[in-house]
Amino acid sequence: MHEPLGVLDTVESVANRRVSAVEVTGECLRRIEAHDRTLSCFRETYPDRVVDAARRIDRLIASGEDPGPLAGVACAIKDNIVTDFGRTTCGSRFLADFRSPFSATAVRRLTAAGALIIGKTNCDEFAMGSSTEHCAFGCTRNPWDLDRVPGGSSGGSAAAVAAGLCPAALGSETGGSIRQPAALCGTVGVKPSYGRVSRFGLVAFGSSLDQIGPFAGCVRSTALLLRVIAGADARDSTSTPLEVPDYLAAIDEPIPDLRIGVPRQYLSDENHPAVNEAVRRAIEVFTGLGAEVLEIDLPLTAYGIATYYIIATAEASSNLARFDGVRYGRRASLAEGEGLYDLYARSRSEGFGAEVKRRIMLGTYVLSAGYYDAYYNRALKVRRLIKQELDAAFARCHALIGPTAPTPAFAIGEKADPLSMYLCDLYTINANIAGICGISIPAGFAQVDGRTLPVGLQIQCKAFDEATMFRVARMFEKSTDYHTKRPEMGKGG
Amino acid sequence: MPAITTTHLKIGMEVHVELATSSKMFSRTANIANPQYYDAAPNTLVDPVVAALPGVLPVMNRRAVEMAMMVGMALGCRIARFTKWDRKNYFYPDLPKGYQISQYDLPLCADGELEFPVPEASDGTTRRVGIIRVHLEEDTGKLSHELPGGRPYHGSLVDLNRAGTPLLEIVTHPDLTSAQDALAFARELRNICRFLGVSEGVMQRGHMRFEPNVNVLVTTDDGREHATPIVEIKNLNSFRAIRDAIDHEHHRQVEAWTSDGIVQAPGNKSTRGWDDSNGATVLQRQKEEAHDYRYFPDPDLLPVVVSDTWRQKIAARIPELPIQRRARYRRELDLSASDALALTDDRNLCRFFEESIEAMKAIAEAKIPARRAGGASAKLLLNAGAKRANERGCPIEKLGITPTQIAQIIVLREQERIGSTAADELFGLLCETDADALTVARSNNLIQVRDQGRLESWCTEAISAQPNAVQDYLNGKDAALGRLVGQVMKLSGGQADAKAVRAGLVKKLHRE
Repeated sequence: MHEPLGVLDTVESVANRRVSAVEVTGECLRRIEAHDRTLSCFRETYPDRVVDAARRIDRLIASGEDPGPLAGVACAIKDNIVTDFGRTTCGSRFLADFRSPFSATAVRRLTAAGALIIGKTNCDEFAMGSSTEHCAFGCTRNPWDLDRVPGGSSGGSAAAVAAGLCPAALGSETGGSIRQPAALCGTVGVKPSYGRVSRFGLVAFGSSLDQIGPFAGCVRSTALLLRVIAGADARDSTSTPLEVPDYLAAIDEPIPDLRIGVPRQYLSDENHPAVNEAVRRAIEVFTGLGAEVLEIDLPLTAYGIATYYIIATAEASSNLARFDGVRYGRRASLAEGEGLYDLYARSRSEGFGAEVKRRIMLGTYVLSAGYYDAYYNRALKVRRLIKQELDAAFARCHALIGPTAPTPAFAIGEKADPLSMYLCDLYTINANIAGICGISIPAGFAQVDGRTLPVGLQIQCKAFDEATMFRVARMFEKSTDYHTKRPEMGKGG
Repeated sequence: MPAITTTHLKIGMEVHVELATSSKMFSRTANIANPQYYDAAPNTLVDPVVAALPGVLPVMNRRAVEMAMMVGMALGCRIARFTKWDRKNYFYPDLPKGYQISQYDLPLCADGELEFPVPEASDGTTRRVGIIRVHLEEDTGKLSHELPGGRPYHGSLVDLNRAGTPLLEIVTHPDLTSAQDALAFARELRNICRFLGVSEGVMQRGHMRFEPNVNVLVTTDDGREHATPIVEIKNLNSFRAIRDAIDHEHHRQVEAWTSDGIVQAPGNKSTRGWDDSNGATVLQRQKEEAHDYRYFPDPDLLPVVVSDTWRQKIAARIPELPIQRRARYRRELDLSASDALALTDDRNLCRFFEESIEAMKAIAEAKIPARRAGGASAKLLLNAGAKRANERGCPIEKLGITPTQIAQIIVLREQERIGSTAADELFGLLCETDADALTVARSNNLIQVRDQGRLESWCTEAISAQPNAVQDYLNGKDAALGRLVGQVMKLSGGQADAKAVRAGLVKKLHRE
């Protein structure tokens, strides 16, 4: 069997009829069949549906019609993004059988571009987690080492792409949930600027932080995917009216007089040595390409986590109030004499997992009378300061680079303490707080306990400057071959 | 114990007005407060946004914001240049999202006043109530324990048709001092909303819900003042309930104070409901519950920035308001305060009334001065019209008669070609036909007969038929003349000109 095709190769091969959409999709389904029992990336797949859709693409191509820029690309959707077919569970018992009557805008745009929705991928419950362990339906495994987590919360999407089960996937980020699993699985993941992609159909966690973003095997593929899903949406008031540039148009042109910033705080001694080593090599790569590398001071970096866990949980406590057992989802059966309060308390107690409950309680607390100013309001002030600090940094350089995550993939069950889990997002979280864009690309490997684990490099740019972000990432990718390496099961066969 | 010398009511109002936009506040689904959708079956005005399905987002209805601005402007409020949406978090089955989108600390409109006519004054005197704030939010759904049709149901039923309807909350200063004034305020506010076209103001449909905050200042003969605890009366949706509930609270609070002496203090505000059948308020919540709604800005919605251009555009849409219109009617058309008040109960009626006056001007040969025309039209509409509108349960302007026909009746009446009874009858006939008033009056024999020959023969016949009446009249009982006039009218089938008949009879009787 041949190597699984990436997004661009698929588009090209299908368009030129070297291979049919039905064939490439069949190959994805075969690989899912072969490997997903082990990996548990998918919550469910849609074999009949996706083959039907592939046939339509083949017919379009045969009749000479334009099948769209993503024709024939099998795409997985994180299970917190709704589709009007199949289930959308958000990894929660509460929504174990939930079927949405509508599809997310991003999904509709993918479909309209010829992409084929192959299945829904596992995630931490309501995207709350950094390991894809906090799911009601079992954890996803890292294709590089089955005893390790894929990262999270979009772990299913990242692992599926890394293992070659499908060339593309959508994930969502609130504090690093695309970039961190991309790094831990050795694939490319993009967190678009806040407002770049419509959130309509993304089940809300922290509404002011949430974004949908793509995973794929290379930078250009993610650029193509983002171009398709991005853009204003009348159903999301927070989506930007700014035009979406053709990211691929100039993606191979290096940025002239590139200035790269390296935040001092990102190269902490607490990071795994291989992580810091990867960043240092990346600095050399960029220097070798003629870039000027500046050390940047971002003293507020450390406050990101605290700020995030106030704002995100406050919004989550309110966003998740709709899961009340009245209209859909889990409804506890009540005993004689139990009333409305019991319906709420029991349905929610039964439906939500521990991490979700923890965050709802935290969020409820920080919004409570008497605590609002001390927590929520103060967090908003720090958020403004973090934004200003990053604005100042981007006035000096085109892009910031640094590690995506402090460590490579950790063992399943290793981070039992919630705080240690929260620290996984140390370097990604401020991009969400400030609304800027970021990408994680493969940038090296760590040898841990005799296993080879991928390490990611993060590139962040100012809000709505994804074009620069992709070009910088592409400069690095063209000079290195990390993105071509796959885990054993990601290779052919 | 010192005796009570006086008691004074102090009333503030919280009013909720459902705006009649075509779609809901934050979704594209139809709005039940719009007349087109009044009778929608339960849960048919629901989409994923209204039902708060996972993944949906609210999108602001700009038209609702504009309507709210219009109300704010009509109340002389300051319109905020910058405002935002906040989430008010609480659980209830009629609240699908688990929060209501509202405006917490930055209301769209603030600091205004409402001027309303003093009901008992015949000279058009007005009073003022200060408006603290006007903000926009979304209505909740409805819970019931009855199946459609009224059969009881074991359990609760949720109807989300009303959920998400744009809802305006208006809060006044406690400036009202009587139940009558509270009622007059409520009526005036409804009229303003109707004139602005932001609500149909149908009370039975819950388009406007009033919540008076009531307490009493009791003065005793030792010169001391005692304020009773504030009571909030929830959800009054008829004018009568507003008046009766406040009157009831007035007496109840004075009595309660007399027996327990409890005065207003932090935390002793209570909430009461109105029991219409017993005519009494009923305690709902004793203590102000420490509700913590955990308000915070809704991250799904952008703040609202009101530019000068936008504000000016909306200001230009504000029509002449009831109070201005009443003043104009009294000034230009010489209407009485009560006629002016009755006409301005409805914007459409005003328009109809004014059209009838315009139509009169068009009948050039009539040459009726505006002042006379106005009074005549108002009387006709508020008597002949109101009577029929009431019988048929439809507004006066929709009875079928046209403003031109109204004008024609008035002209006929001014020319003394029809009598007042005939005018009323003609009004009724014209509701059913497009023909002009004169034709209809003729074909129905409503035109007064002034033919001297016929009048005289009727008079002669009446005099010979009623010798007793003649005798009485000649003996100085003037009232007996009426019996003779009646006899002539009967003989003429109502067509005789009563004035001419009277003159003819007198002349004949004195000759004899």
